[in-house]
Amino acid sequence: MSHTTPMVEDGPTGADRLKPFVPYLLVLPGLLFVMGILGYAVVGGIILSLNETDMFMNKTFVGLKNYIDVFADPRFQDAMVRTLSFVVISIVLGIFMSMSFALVLYKVVRGRRFFRGLSLVPYFVSGIATAVMFRFIFTTSGGFVNTVLAQLGLPAQSWLGDPTLAFAVAIMANCWFMVPFASLILLGGLQTIDKDLYDAAAIDGANPIQIFFRITLPLIKPMLGVSLIWVSYISFSTFDIVLALTSGGPLKATELVSIYMYELAFQQLNFGQGAVLMVVLLVFNTVLSLIYIKIFVMGDRRHSEAGK
Amino acid sequence: MRVQESGPMALLFQRLGPKVLIWLTLTFLVIWTATPIIWAILSSFKDPLEIYESKSLLPEVWRLDAYRKVLSMPGFGTWLMNSIIVTVVATIVPLILAILAAYGFARYAFKFRHVLLLLYLIPRIIPRVSLIVPLNDLMSDLGLINTYSVLFITYIASAVPLATWILVGFFGSIPKEIEESATLDGANMWNRLRHVMLPMAWPGVVTAAVLCLREAWNEFSFVLALVNQTDMRTLPYQLYMLKDSMGIQDYAVYNAFTILTVLPLLLVYLLLERKVVDSIVSGAVKS
Repeated sequence: MSHTTPMVEDGPTGADRLKPFVPYLLVLPGLLFVMGILGYAVVGGIILSLNETDMFMNKTFVGLKNYIDVFADPRFQDAMVRTLSFVVISIVLGIFMSMSFALVLYKVVRGRRFFRGLSLVPYFVSGIATAVMFRFIFTTSGGFVNTVLAQLGLPAQSWLGDPTLAFAVAIMANCWFMVPFASLILLGGLQTIDKDLYDAAAIDGANPIQIFFRITLPLIKPMLGVSLIWVSYISFSTFDIVLALTSGGPLKATELVSIYMYELAFQQLNFGQGAVLMVVLLVFNTVLSLIYIKIFVMGDRRHSEAGK
Repeated sequence: MRVQESGPMALLFQRLGPKVLIWLTLTFLVIWTATPIIWAILSSFKDPLEIYESKSLLPEVWRLDAYRKVLSMPGFGTWLMNSIIVTVVATIVPLILAILAAYGFARYAFKFRHVLLLLYLIPRIIPRVSLIVPLNDLMSDLGLINTYSVLFITYIASAVPLATWILVGFFGSIPKEIEESATLDGANMWNRLRHVMLPMAWPGVVTAAVLCLREAWNEFSFVLALVNQTDMRTLPYQLYMLKDSMGIQDYAVYNAFTILTVLPLLLVYLLLERKVVDSIVSGAVKS
């Protein structure tokens, strides 16, 4: 290995002068889109949140007035509390389901490919279609659940008409949509674990629960982190599922921050206050993601590097 | 405690318990995953009045009326074409941009590499719906509302980071030596990318393509915020609008429409299922 070959070798003439720029030329076109659109939207949204808009979208700078108004608005406070409980319940239920699914997909021998393939199907169904399907599972007349109840001779329920039940159905639809991806990530984690570790633990007399908490869980920590980021990202940004399922009702029982943001900006044409809600969503989601990365991914990397 | 008992029942439980638990969970997984889709399919073949009566799970007569009604909706061809056009553009363009960027990140050491890589990552943790307010404001100022361009650029922008992150992983895992030997044989960068990197990272390219396809086909928030003319709607948008546009809801039509919007993407997934599932399980796809 006496000489190393440079990666770019386009001849000694003009191309040589371009060489240092090659990586930038490769990377920048994509970044232009990302920053031009998404980056602009973030910055533009923050600026918008400091302005008051009228019906013709004329903007006047008002400082933090929108923030003060929004935080004092009981409807926003309710939406915030609702979103937080929606996210917390979704994360707990979603991770529990993902972990259970990942464990059985790992354990099952016969039909393994089939079950895995099937488990990911909801990931490819759009949020709107998910919502419509769940509406027809739970709708009062003609819904799957009430049809089954009728066959069993039980009374029908108004699932989407009752505030608590509708909230529960929204969480179920959200889980249906987001769990498949999370469980395959966890399954990937399970497959990296050396089987000898399980055998050794079993010989030492550890029971399955001890094995799960002492061996499995610590070893799949990074993948657990990734699924947590996914699950909370999806739950925080849930919009299409709830909008098409309940439109925020009944009695605002499912009005999340994202739904209220849409209502403020696009129905009441109050873009300034709508932008405040955007900033709130952004801050919550970013902070949560950074916490997960710090705990699960970074912490683990440092740990494994120290171990080397 | 139960583990220490040694009666015959306890032994039986010890031996069968885990198996029963696995099969129960697996049964739940199948029912949970399949029920919403199967119910929508069954309902789409029923008579609208039959659905209201909730008498039986299976249709009395399997009717195709609902599908006929959907296909003969005046705008259906337009919405389908809109979805196809937007999806094709928002898959191919991000894929090309991502292949270039991922090659740059995976193979070159350069100033600001980490910062630029981070700029590609950050958008993945921004809730897309939160961007619709400023995007609507910007695109109204630019006069781009109700155009294909506005859908193209927003869809592309949100797909590029995803595809780039998948491909950086795949390109990075290809040993540098293989490329170096191609260089010695006189291959320039384009040839190396085309004849060495892409074939070797093919499962990654396919996965990235399928995931871009998925994002574009299913996208809703952007089209909702940036389009308001009926003939600019995509299928998911129209599916959402059906809720308001039908006076007395024809549930069979609603279900048939849902199935027709979901089916094309599911077929793509079925064809490429192996590569996609393997890529996700192997940890190559991280949201």
